[in-house]
Amino acid sequence: MEIFHNILLGFQVALSWQNLLFCFVGVTLGTLIGVLPGIGPVTGVAILIPITFGLNATTAIITMAGVYYGAMYGGSTTSILINVPGESSSVMTTLDGYQMARKGRAGPALGMAAFSSFIAGTLAVILLTFIAPPLAGVALSFGPPEYFALTFMGLTLVTSLSGESMLKGIMSGVFGLIVACVGVDAISGEERFTFGNIYLLDGFGFIGVAVGLFAVAEVLVNLEAPMQQVFVRTSLSLRTLFPNLQDWKDSLGPIGRSSLLGFFIGVLPGAGATIASFMSYAMEKKLSKHPEKFGTGVIEGVAAPEGANNAAAGGAMVPLLTLGIPGSGTTAVLLGALLIHGLRPGPLLFQSNPDFVWGVIASMYIGNVMLLVLNLPLVGIWASLLRVPYRILMPLIVTISAVGVFATDNNVFDMWVMFAFGIIGYLMRKLEFPAAPAVLGLVLGPMVERSLRQSLTISHGDLSIFFTRPISAVLTMGALLSLFAPVIRAAWQSHRKRGAQAQP
Amino acid sequence: MRRADQVTGIVLFVFSLVLMEGSRRLPPSATFGPGAGFLPFWLGALMAALSLVLLVTASRRPAGPPGRAVLPGREALIPVGATVGSLAVYILLLERLGFLLATALLTAFLLGVVERERWGTTLAVAVLNAIGLYLVFRVLLGVSLPKNPLGF
Repeated sequence: MEIFHNILLGFQVALSWQNLLFCFVGVTLGTLIGVLPGIGPVTGVAILIPITFGLNATTAIITMAGVYYGAMYGGSTTSILINVPGESSSVMTTLDGYQMARKGRAGPALGMAAFSSFIAGTLAVILLTFIAPPLAGVALSFGPPEYFALTFMGLTLVTSLSGESMLKGIMSGVFGLIVACVGVDAISGEERFTFGNIYLLDGFGFIGVAVGLFAVAEVLVNLEAPMQQVFVRTSLSLRTLFPNLQDWKDSLGPIGRSSLLGFFIGVLPGAGATIASFMSYAMEKKLSKHPEKFGTGVIEGVAAPEGANNAAAGGAMVPLLTLGIPGSGTTAVLLGALLIHGLRPGPLLFQSNPDFVWGVIASMYIGNVMLLVLNLPLVGIWASLLRVPYRILMPLIVTISAVGVFATDNNVFDMWVMFAFGIIGYLMRKLEFPAAPAVLGLVLGPMVERSLRQSLTISHGDLSIFFTRPISAVLTMGALLSLFAPVIRAAWQSHRKRGAQAQP
Repeated sequence: MRRADQVTGIVLFVFSLVLMEGSRRLPPSATFGPGAGFLPFWLGALMAALSLVLLVTASRRPAGPPGRAVLPGREALIPVGATVGSLAVYILLLERLGFLLATALLTAFLLGVVERERWGTTLAVAVLNAIGLYLVFRVLLGVSLPKNPLGF
């Protein structure tokens, strides 16, 4: 019954007035960021790191986690009303959600999106509560080779699942690792690539890099293509928001399935909310008795992806908290925030800072309830925010980013880091390099390096250490497999083709 | 995209060589196990290999349809360039102009010149934004923001 003791402890932490307040601030900001196209949860969380810098670690992470899963709620509003996804994770919601709105059923679509998000989000936190502690227990026995294999697998999975070109994903991840090398080497104390600049002794500031790669780059990309928004006129009183009985009958199955699917995809390092929403939509279409109606405004097409992306946001907290391995861009930024607050995510966190871990988990139960209340009766207010033109938002994002980066260390150098990585991030977008692997590489870099060098020290330079220990062998093989899967598949296909040609 | 990938491949290849050369000057091994230069050297080698793969695969691919340029045309380049430029000027002048003035000017430039908003709205947003950020960061969070010689 230790789990109930822990949960009780968590609620004691989460229910303090300060944490309640900031949880509310977080989910409200998250909904706002979700609703507004052109600013995503990664950007939101990155900008919030400096603003929450002065708070204690628990409150800060409660706020930022609230932004993360709050954005999953808000994204659907934009998808349904103006056919523009508020986030990449609500792209699938546009397909049926916007069609429902055009048929005059915007209310039930928005309502079901909120209910589905709530149910799936809460189920995911329950699963997180029960799965995280035993997983952390297993991870306690990990040595350097296991950690290296684990981070290696996390990096390869992220690169193989993000973006279209796997090669560019890998290059982006390697770039992040290279950037992480700058600064004083933690093991030997040697200065690396600092060019005599004292600010670089600690390496590139994480906040500057993250805000540059995401916030500044996003602004620059959006400047090129002004957004077109077409509103569906609709009345959004509370009464119209409740789905009818038939809607519920159609949606309960998809919500349950997408919760489970989304959660496990979220747990997997590398696949986040976006992939979860795509897969659950595809799954429901396959399972449906009327797959041809998908895309014409069926409510399952809203319930499934909205459930899956929320469940994935909960699932993504599992590897982050238990292993210290983020599974997506947003959780990578969250990991950076944890490190800034002096917390080392990983199995020891459950022993050394139980009030933190359980406080954050408990706050997610509370946050989901807040979000349901925020998103049902108040959805009209959020919808009216969509009338604020992006023009006005753009200068605000730029100035908040710049001040926030300055505020972390009170020096202008960090702003130049943001500036430089803003341009790099912009070029990466234009050249179709995904940015998430780079941030992951940057955050995991020190851990990769330490575990790799320690392992090789133990084994006197013998690489076989990663294959002879069972857990690390499985993880390394998994990583190599995901890395070479496309090559193997291509070879296999050309082999079969040749075979087919040989025997006409 | 083809040409862009070729150029990227070459640029990153050169970058990797520079990185490997820089890493070679660091001690490759410490008293026990690999040293400070170990990881950056091999990351450079990996990056060099990957950029060659990018260069070769891009070159073997047929050229895409013309007109789909990667870099923005002149119309889009102006707002992007103006935003990047004004941000650089902001960072340069922040400590001389003071936070309030510099931030109001940057906001006004981005909104009024880059986004061509009406001047009335621009002025209002610029002033409110600078004061709002000042309240959040200086008053609420206690960050000491740069001041100009006039004291604001």
